[in-house]
Amino acid sequence: MTETSLSIESILAPELTLCGVPGTSKKRILELIAENVARQYPELESTRIFNNLISRERLGSTGIGEGIAIPHCRLENCDRVVGVLMTLEDGISFDAIDHQPVDLVFTLIVPREATSEHLELLSQLAETFNNRTFCERLRQCEDSESLYREMTRSS
Amino acid sequence: MDPTLILIGALMLVISILLSPLSSRLGMPVLLIFLVVGMLMGEDGPGGLAFDDFELAFVVGNLALALILLDGGMRTRAETFRVGLRPALLLASIGVLITATVAAVTAWWLFDLHWMTAALIGAIISSTDAAAVFSLLQGRGLHLNERVGATLEIESGSNDPMAIFLTLLLVTLIDGDMASGWSSLLLLVEQFGIGSVLGIVGGRSMVWVLNRARLMPALYPLLVAAYGLALFAATNLLGGSGFLAIYLAGVVLGNRHVRMMPMILQVHDGLAWLAQMSLFLILGLLVNPSQLLPLAGGGLVLALVMILVARPLAVLSTLWPFSFNLRELSFISWVGLRGAVPIVLALFPVMHGIDEAGLIFNIAFFVVLVSLVVQGSSLASLARWLELEVPAAGEPHRRLPLDVPAAGDHELMLFPLQGERWERPCPVGRLNLPEGSDLAGVFRERECLHPEPALTVGKGDVVAVFARPAALDELGRSLSGREPPRYLAQRAFFGDFVLNGDALLGDVEEVYGIEFDALSPELTLADCFARRTKGHPVVGDRVRLGPVTLVARETEADRVTRVGLRMDEGARS
Repeated sequence: MTETSLSIESILAPELTLCGVPGTSKKRILELIAENVARQYPELESTRIFNNLISRERLGSTGIGEGIAIPHCRLENCDRVVGVLMTLEDGISFDAIDHQPVDLVFTLIVPREATSEHLELLSQLAETFNNRTFCERLRQCEDSESLYREMTRSS
Repeated sequence: MDPTLILIGALMLVISILLSPLSSRLGMPVLLIFLVVGMLMGEDGPGGLAFDDFELAFVVGNLALALILLDGGMRTRAETFRVGLRPALLLASIGVLITATVAAVTAWWLFDLHWMTAALIGAIISSTDAAAVFSLLQGRGLHLNERVGATLEIESGSNDPMAIFLTLLLVTLIDGDMASGWSSLLLLVEQFGIGSVLGIVGGRSMVWVLNRARLMPALYPLLVAAYGLALFAATNLLGGSGFLAIYLAGVVLGNRHVRMMPMILQVHDGLAWLAQMSLFLILGLLVNPSQLLPLAGGGLVLALVMILVARPLAVLSTLWPFSFNLRELSFISWVGLRGAVPIVLALFPVMHGIDEAGLIFNIAFFVVLVSLVVQGSSLASLARWLELEVPAAGEPHRRLPLDVPAAGDHELMLFPLQGERWERPCPVGRLNLPEGSDLAGVFRERECLHPEPALTVGKGDVVAVFARPAALDELGRSLSGREPPRYLAQRAFFGDFVLNGDALLGDVEEVYGIEFDALSPELTLADCFARRTKGHPVVGDRVRLGPVTLVARETEADRVTRVGLRMDEGARS
């Protein structure tokens, strides 16, 4: 199998690393994610991103526990892997498996053609966020630059 | 009564209790330690006690078994019947018959006995032992998947009547009392019929009495024990199986709303331990290891045939219609634990004065010894190797019943916060306790703190919660930080992502861009599990679909409601 492990730098743009995002609902956060991605990559359409993320959430929450969520979807006309990292000002209810509020969100959007890479990346991400001290460092970040630095240092 | 007898008995208990922690260190069943202590105190050991009061042993054995079954029954969840009852009943009836037959033929061939004596040996060693199974499964923190755990527990609780019936039948036959085919069939019907009816009726009446009597708290558990033993004896007197009756009464009790239940369970845990110790100590005293030695060769062969041939044959020929997979069948085959039941049954021929009673007793004893050593000590590692363990929610340190009508079902539960995840303190307001639960207080360094939302709790604190028993699992998961072994950590076991049971396969395929061949996209994930498990899925069941593995994460009745999505193995292979 080819080496698919893209480095975090290649998926995550500093502009899409947001620290202390306000927002009170899961829907609002997903909207914010979609808007930010569309602003950064104008060829991508924000409503479509939002709809795809929501369709995935309908199958079951992507809140994987301990305050972390990894929303993800495939997207038409998308030719790159897009990551969005957010820490939230307050924990929001995300229907997570452990019923705990979520305050750390990494979104992964992949081209429609990417299938096995999609799965591979997701399990790598989940593995990364399995590290409690790492998550704690992300939560401690005060601004987007340091958040980006912490996140990219991991890979 | 001779006071030295009491002294010796009590000292044996003290020694056994103090030695019991050895069992987890040596990986041996604790029952074996009791048995060995008994043997050491006996005629051939340094104790040198010449004990051959079979009658006393018989009485103690029966009482102890009854108490153990009562306790085991109370801990058997009726919900597990949906997956365990039918296979267990087949194992407990036809399975026992098959085991007895294979054992009888082997014994006949090995020991050159009259065929009826050989058949008697077969019957005596045919039933698995509830005491051994309960203590190894429930007492060891071994959380097997529900299908396997329930089958083994219900089997061990309900297979004694069959073995007792076969034993009684053969004893009367050998005794020369006329027993026609007709009357033996009647005996079987009586044992099962009267046993189950009285067990259920007796259990219900016990619930009724317990919930109406106004007693001192300490007396509720004792009432249960006394009532249970009365039921046991009455059933025996009427010709039914007292063992079956008291087990069923326990099941009824454990699954109804009963006042002071947590306290009853706690005391009965102790009573069951006392029963096991007394039972195995006295059986150890009774046997003379020097008489076992000449039997070692044949006994070993018989024991191995039981383990390697009789039990697997019984399991495979009764369980094939159910949805057990090969790993599960192998494990059930291996856990044909023999324990006190065969030894107590071996006392029957002694009491009836049958010629070869001594030989029968020693053979039965030997088989049990081998079974405990070989199967008992390998069971936990086998469960792990066969991947039959499932992650379990942490238990509260203590559960205290409130016993005030206004409090309803609520109990006070204490959870010490421990483990890595509590190193990061969390404000009380964000604990998100399940509905109907509330924080009663937080204890830190002997101080009681008021649980206001801003108070942060962390490692070392003890959290007291008022909650209903129904919230136990969720509370255990969110509060107990006990770290399970790596392979049983929630995310390692179930995968990182969660899907709802009612999600459609087609939608999952669409989201992940993978294709599940051969399955209609109209099926829900729950349907996939239902198909794979013939309608009775349990937590931990897996369905491999293309590059991913689905793991049943939560079930409600016979429906999978949450599914874990594992992509690691699939994507990397």
